[in-house]
This record gives sequence, structure tokens and C-alpha cells, in this order.
Amino acid sequence: MKERTMWEQIADSLRSRSLWMLHYCTGCGAMELPPTMTARFDMERFGVAPMATPRQADIMLITGYLNTKTLRRVIYTYEQMADPKYVIGFGSCTINGGIYFDSYSTINRLDYYIPVDVYIAGCMPRPEAILEAFNYLMEKIRKGEADGWKRYKENYEWYKQNQIRSLGEVYVHDEFHE
Amino acid sequence: MTAVYKAILNLVIAFFFVISLEGIARKITARIQRRIGPPWYQNFIDIFKALSKHPFSNGWIFDFGVLMALGGAIATAAIIPMGSTFWTPFPNTDNFFVIMYLFAVGSLGMAMGMVGSGSPWSAIGVSRALTQMLGYELPYLVVMSSVMYMYKTSSIHLLIEKQATNGWNLYVMPIGAIVAFISLIGMLGKKPFDIAVAPAEIASGPMAELSGKYMGLLQIMHAFSIFVEVGLFVDLFLGGGSLGWFLVKFIVVWVLATLISSVLPRFRIEQMLKFYWGVPLGLAFLNALFVLLGWTF
Amino acid sequence: MFTLLVALLIFSVVNYFISKASWRVGSIINALIGSYLIFQVFTIPKGTEVTIGKFLGETLALQWTNAGFYFSFVSLLVIVAVMFFAIKWLDSQKHPAAFNMFILMVTAGSLGVFMAKDLITLYIFWEIAVLSSMLIIPMGKKESRKAAVVYAVMSAVGTYMFLYGAFMIYSRYGTFSMPEIAKNLANDPSTSFKVAVVLLIAAAGIAKSGIFPLHTWLRIAHGNAPDAFSAVLSGQLVKLGSYVLMISVAVFPSLKIFANLKLYSGVPAPNYFLIALGAASIIIGTLMAIKQDDMKMLIAYSSVANGGYILVGIGTMDPLGFEGGVLHVFNHALAAAVIFMAFASVVYRTHTKKISELGGLIHKMPITYIAYLFAIISLAGIPPMSGFISKWMIYQALVRKGMFITAAIAFFGSIGSFLYVFRPLAGVFLGQLPRKYKDVKEVPPIMWIPMLVLVAISFVMGVWPFPILQPIENMRADFGIAPSFKIADAQNWLVRGFSGSWNPVIVFNLFITGFIVAYILYTLFPKPKKVDLLKPHKEEGAPINIYTSGEFIYTPELYHYNTKFYAGFERMYEKHPSWEKLLYMLAKFFHDVGEWIHGWFFRPSPSAYTFWLAMTILIIFWVRW
Repeated sequence: MKERTMWEQIADSLRSRSLWMLHYCTGCGAMELPPTMTARFDMERFGVAPMATPRQADIMLITGYLNTKTLRRVIYTYEQMADPKYVIGFGSCTINGGIYFDSYSTINRLDYYIPVDVYIAGCMPRPEAILEAFNYLMEKIRKGEADGWKRYKENYEWYKQNQIRSLGEVYVHDEFHE
Repeated sequence: MTAVYKAILNLVIAFFFVISLEGIARKITARIQRRIGPPWYQNFIDIFKALSKHPFSNGWIFDFGVLMALGGAIATAAIIPMGSTFWTPFPNTDNFFVIMYLFAVGSLGMAMGMVGSGSPWSAIGVSRALTQMLGYELPYLVVMSSVMYMYKTSSIHLLIEKQATNGWNLYVMPIGAIVAFISLIGMLGKKPFDIAVAPAEIASGPMAELSGKYMGLLQIMHAFSIFVEVGLFVDLFLGGGSLGWFLVKFIVVWVLATLISSVLPRFRIEQMLKFYWGVPLGLAFLNALFVLLGWTF
Repeated sequence: MFTLLVALLIFSVVNYFISKASWRVGSIINALIGSYLIFQVFTIPKGTEVTIGKFLGETLALQWTNAGFYFSFVSLLVIVAVMFFAIKWLDSQKHPAAFNMFILMVTAGSLGVFMAKDLITLYIFWEIAVLSSMLIIPMGKKESRKAAVVYAVMSAVGTYMFLYGAFMIYSRYGTFSMPEIAKNLANDPSTSFKVAVVLLIAAAGIAKSGIFPLHTWLRIAHGNAPDAFSAVLSGQLVKLGSYVLMISVAVFPSLKIFANLKLYSGVPAPNYFLIALGAASIIIGTLMAIKQDDMKMLIAYSSVANGGYILVGIGTMDPLGFEGGVLHVFNHALAAAVIFMAFASVVYRTHTKKISELGGLIHKMPITYIAYLFAIISLAGIPPMSGFISKWMIYQALVRKGMFITAAIAFFGSIGSFLYVFRPLAGVFLGQLPRKYKDVKEVPPIMWIPMLVLVAISFVMGVWPFPILQPIENMRADFGIAPSFKIADAQNWLVRGFSGSWNPVIVFNLFITGFIVAYILYTLFPKPKKVDLLKPHKEEGAPINIYTSGEFIYTPELYHYNTKFYAGFERMYEKHPSWEKLLYMLAKFFHDVGEWIHGWFFRPSPSAYTFWLAMTILIIFWVRW
């Protein structure tokens, strides 16, 4: 791994203390976020705050199973985020498909399509697990190991290939049908 | 030359002081909601983190708008007197209307840049922000006209001096001060009036397309705007004072606004307009009438 | 001076035939003549007087005053800019030759108005200006004919009241000359006569500058006139009205005339009446402008509001208010002219003036956008453009006089102007470019140079306003409105109000410094990646790359917010009472009465004619004439 300059180290430690989160609520996992945000667990004390648009966000939280139609949106959203960006796969659905592992329309492993920095196992993971994941991610960022966004750039061809394989060609370009 | 140093001091204080206060406000809100909340320096981290990212630019007008917004805010913050004639960088130019309209340069720049990003959410946010401006400015400016009519000056450092002999405007015209404070909350865009930036409805409105340093620069601009808005209120209604007192009063006003905002839900646009053009505007005219009749304390 | 005007009038006809041969030559000649006229207004010595004829035993004369100089200069700036603009723009018009002729006539007429020494001369030139502009409005478009009729009728209402006032004055004092009238009015004991006369004279101004009861023609005429001519209408012809209003309150010194009618803090009752009308037009203009979808009508309503500002400022007869009102003439003339020319450029390229059909033109017409941007900064009264100075002065006057309600309305108009100028900015120039305009090009230089020149003048006057304040100060001195302090203090670079001062140079420098600091901060941090907003236009099947909640959007205009821009606010006054509808009802009533009478007397049957013939003969015999 390349040695980081001093500025990058400072920037990384700043980034680890201020994670703005875009939660892409695809499945049931979104239910675990309100307790994480509110008084019981209070993720804001770690500097994690929910954001409205991908442009502003640093981490993308994918909370559940992804079918192919959603995956397109996730990739589109991920590419709209500003570097450096981190992805947290939330729940077993993103790891191996979870209980939807044999569905025709869901994808099993998120890692093939966009680089995931941290996985949270469980169905569902409790808020404690989410906070644990945030802290783990912060640690990784501080060490400079959370380099998913660099891997995505370096192995873009490979990711693209996987994406196209699963999604196939999209024939109808229209706002209302697809 | 001293004017330049004082202006720079203005900006430095506006930056460090107000951004710390923003962090403290987050802490206060968290405590009210029985959370622990982020550390008080969280906003510094947020800003510098945002500045360190690799952003997206949606065309030249987007860049230009952000620069114009920050430039306008810096220019306005540099004029604001900090509590006394001594800490007035430009005693010839600290006219109330000049400040109000120079302040609009920043808002216009921001509005233009954000709509220039091509996002309709930004356009909706800006349309809401402008409508809100129509709401809060009206009672505020009526109160301010009565203040200026009473003291026969619109120069802010002179108004501070007049208050030193005459008593704070908060006591002289309490109704006016209350109305101005209500308008101030709208001006700050705090909770019952955060219609423009409604993250849950319109994807944080004007800021929808801001990434990286654009976000950071606009947060700095926001800090300067808060400095201007609260600073004006302190100067005009709480009698200024020495630099330390000015900052203490600043904190008091800010904390009060935060406390109020952290327990109120958001208005809709027309509710906000009906609110501002109802009781506060009426009270503002009542205040003006009292000033005309000389019924001030 | 008189020879100049007559030469202009004659040449306008000559130019018609030149333009018939080649309209481009005609319009270039027009522009050159206009430029020469600008040079000319500076050379005429002040106080020059020329007798032009006799009417009812009274000499009619032209006189070159400070006021005339100022108004002529402002008018010519606008007209010449439009003349240059028209050199290229006219190729979108059907009757360029007639346009060339009438615009010269308008010039001559308005210069004549500003030069007139007596009411009758003023009336004559006024009608020349009005009629020639009336003939431009319907040019080439059938639906605009009604607009011209409405314009002419409204204008006629004003001018006949004016004429009536003029003859009332003549029958009492036996003079038409304005200085004489001013002297006589000041010594007249009859209050009701003075009030009647002043308000009758002001009526022409009210009609022309679109003040409340007679404001409805502005929307129709400005909205339907040829696009570039709207700039003249709003930037220059409306200012004729402001000039007459100024005559009725300042040339006839209302403070002296109505010394016993002081209503509130030294403002006489008739002035107060006018101020109330001005305030009403500010409210109506602002509210209606906010909800317009037609961008030209939007600015037409803003002209109503700004006419109100001018009237409020002049009406106070406070030194600051007067200077502010008169300076606002200059600011609004330039800003409105540039805005209308920018819209004319947009229409020239896209053939629509509906905001809801446009968008994203900044990518294609950046220079027009810049001109529009600076013009609206001036119109909204934001420093460092000159529009701020006049608004500041008017506020100073209103606060000093303690006119809180008027001040509140003025503030409302000012904040409201942010709303309505932003609507075209966001809807037409910013946002997403519709597919059908992807091949639109910037207008040629001959069209954008005049806009940028006007914007530059407005900008320079905002940073260093003393050259334009000087003639206004001269005017003010002529009318004997003396302040207790020096308003434009060029030595100390200060503009002073009753309460404190400000330094336009410092304000500008601060802004520039702030901008430079912001730019330095901007360059310190990582370079941005460019997002190409036009990608869907260039590549088939490319979605737009902005935040879309994860949705793929291939048709950019669907993701553009320009319809019902202020829906939340517009909804609040949807069911407003309409003065225009009331006037239409009145018109309909007269129309129906006319129809009825027409039906009685002009039956298309011979028996009816025979009946009326018999009746007439019977009556004649019966009364034995």
C-alpha cells in the first residue's frame, strides 16, 4: 500500500470523525436506523449524521437485499458520491443474499458490484452492531485501509463487467418504464 | 489601516466563534433530546472534512455562485460593528440598509449557484427560501425603521452609542425586540422556519447538489451569515458593549434561539407567511405607533 | 432645439423610405442618429429657450432645463441601446421599416416632452410619442392590436384629464407656461382648485407610468409589444409618466402650494394621495409579477411596482426621497431595458416567452445571462449595482418621515422583487435545457453589446454614483428642495442620508475582497470533477448526472422546476379581486350600450330607417326649428 502524505493522514483522521451517511433503505434493515439515530444509541456523538443526497454523503449504508432493479440505482447513486466514499453492507442480505438467496431477482453478494468496506452480519443486526461497524470503519479510515473507492477506480472494468452480467442490457430508456 | 485589521478580526471571530457555537447548538439540541451529542468542535471537523473531499462541479455558474455567496457573506461580516464604536471597522459605511442589502448579495449568489446546479430540488428550496424572506423581513424592517426613526440614525455604531445613554432597546421597545427576535429565528433558518432546507421533503433544498468543498465553503458562509444576523440583533437591541460583553450577549441570543428551535416542528410555507404577517407584523406596527407617540420606556 | 426635433420628425419619414429599400441601412442610420443625440444633449447650454408658435394667444416654447437634460439623457441611453440592438433583431420582424420610422418619432416626441416649457407643447409632443409607440405595439401580430387599443385608451384617459387641467389653469391664470403656473399656484387662495389641477395634471403621469388605477395597460402592452420595443416602453416611455408626475409635485412646488394641507410629517394631502397610489401599485405590481408565467408580463408588472417606487420617492418631496425617486428613474430604465433586451434575445432564438417552456439557456446564451443577472441585481436593489442607491435613498426618506406603512410596502416591494426577478433566472436561464433548444446559439455581438454597455453603466454608477447624482442635485436645487446636508459628498466618497452615510467604494471593495478571499479558499482545496449537464443532449441514452433519488432521467426538461415557481405563496392570493376585470366589465358595459343604440338606429331593414326618418322629420316640425 502506498504511504500517505501528512495531509492525507490529517484528512483521513478528519474524515473518520465526520461520517455523513446516506442510507439506501432497500429492505427491512431501515427499521434499525431510527433507534441508532435517536436517544437510545445516539450515533451523532460519533459525528455520524444522516444526509439527504449522495453528493453530500461519505458513507452509503445499504440496508438489506438488493434486487437487480435496485442495484442499478445503487450503483448510480454510488457513482454520484464524492471521493473518498465508503460503503457499509448491512445485514446478511448484502453478504450472501440472506433469506432471499435463491430468489431469481436478487443479487447475492454486493461486493461483486461495488466495493464494500465493512459488512455487518446478522438478520437483523442490532443498533449496537451498527455502532460497532461505524467504529470499525472509523478505525479503518484512520489507518488508511478503507480504500474501497480506490479499488473501485482501479478495478473499474471488473466491476463494470460484473454489473453488466447481472443487470444485462437495458433496452427501454424512459422515465416511466424500464 | 486599522479598519482592515478590525475587519479581519471580525472575520476571524465570525469563523471560530460562530462555528464553535454551531457545535454547541448541536450539543444543546442533543441534550434536550436526551442524547449525548457530538463534541462542540464537531462543525470544524465537518467543514474541514468537506473541504478535503474531491467534489463535483455542475458548471461555471455553480462555482461562481458559491464564490459570490461566500464573498458577499465575508463583505457583510466585515462591516458589522462588534458592540462598540471602537470595534467598528468602517464607521462611515455601517448603515443598516447597506448591511441588509449587502447581505442579500450572498443569498443571491447562493440561490443562483444552487439553481445553476440544475437540480429542481435546489430551485424548490430557493423558492421557499425567498418566500420565507418575504415573511420575516417585513416585520423586521418595520421594527428597524421605528428604531431608526426614534434615534434619527441608521448607522449601527451610533445606535449602540445612543443605547448606552438611553438604555437597551430591549427595554426601550420590548415589543419591537420580541418581533425582531422572532424574525431572527426565521432569518437563521432555525427549526420552525427551516422550510428552505427541509431534508426529509426536498433533499435539503438548495444544498442538494453540494459536494466536498462547495459544502464546506457554504458552511463557512453560513457561519458568517449567523454572525451578521445575531450580531445585528445584539448591536441593535442589547446595546452592544465591550467586545467580551458583545460575545456573551451573542451566546445568550444564540442559545435562546437554539432552545426555542429545538422543541418546535416545521411550518409549511403559507403557515409561515400567515404567522409572520399576522401577529409579528401587527406588533411591529404597534411598536412603530408607540415610537411615533413617544410611548417608549 | 426645435429644429432638432422637427428634423428628427421629418427624417423619421425619410428613414421609412430608406428602410423600405434596405431596413438594415435605416436601422444603422437610426443608431448613429441616436448616438449623435446623446452627444447633443450634453452640448445644449442649460436655460436655452426657443419659441415655437402661438396657441390661444400664448407663446409655446421649449426650454432646456436640468430636469430635461437628465430625463433626455436617460431616455436616449435606453433608446440608443435598443436601436443598436434592433440592427440585428429586426430581421425577426415583419415591418422593420415602420419600426425604424416610429422609433425615431418616439425619440423626437419624448425629447420634446422633456424640453417643453408649457403644458400645450408638452401635450403635443406627448401625443406624438404615445401615438407612434401605439403604432409599434401591434406590429405584425394580430393579437397585439387589442393591446394597442387598450394602451391608447388608457393613455387617452390620462392625457384628456391632463388637457382638462391645462385648460382649467388657462381659464384662471391665462397662461400655459409652467414656471408662470408654478408662481400663480403658489399664491392661489382656492385649495380645491389647486388640488384638482395638480391631480388632473398628475393623471397623465399616472396613466403613463402605470400607477394603480390605470396600470392595466402595462401588462397587455408590454407583454404584446415587439420584444425589443418593450425595452423602450418600460425603460423609457413609462418614464414620461414619471416626468409628468415630477412636474405635478415638484415643478409646481407642492410643499408651497399645499402649505395649509400638510397631512402627516410635512407631506401635503395630495402628495399623500399620490404616494398611496404609488404604494398600491407597488403591492399590485409585486404580487402580480410573482405569479406571471409570461416573462415579459412579469417584468411589465415589475414596471408597475417600480413606477410606484418612483412616485413614492418623488411624492415625499423630501430631498432624499426626491433624489431617490429621480435616481430610480435612471436605475429602472437601464435595468428594465436590459432585462427586456435579454428576453428579446431569448425570444429571438427560442420563439417563446413562456417561462414554463424554457430552461437551462445559460449553457447556450451565457452573455445574455450575464447581462440579465446584473440587470436583476440592479432591479432588486442589491449593491454594488446602482439600483441600491435609489432604494436606499427612498428608504431613508420614508424612515425619516416616519411613514411606516408606506415604508413597509416599499420593503415588501423590494423583497418581492427578489422573488419575481429570480423566477425567470431560475426558469429560463438556469436548470435543465429542454431537448428542443439544444442547438440554440448565443445572439450576435450587435445584440449583446448594447446590453452589456447599459449594465456596465449601471455598475459603474453603483460604485461611483456621483456623476449621475450631480444632475439630480442640480434638479433638486432648481425645484428648491434643499437638504440640511450634502447628499452626494464626492470629496469623502460618501452618499449621505439623514441618518448616517455609506461609502459605495468601500462596499464594492469589500465585496471584491470577499470574492478574492473566497476564490483563494476555493483554489486551495481539491479540484472538482466536472459534471456535464448537457450530456443527455449530446449522447443518446445518457441519464442526467445530478441527484435524482436514484431514478434514471433521460429527458432533462422533466427534471426542471419552472412552473408555478412560488406555488406556496401564489396559492395564498389565488382568488384576489381583479381591477383589470372591473375595467373590462366597464368596457363591456359601454360596448353593450353602444351595441344597443347601434341596434336601435342602424337596423339593417329599410322600414326601421324609414321609421327613424319619419320620427326625425316629425320632431323637427313639432319643435318648429
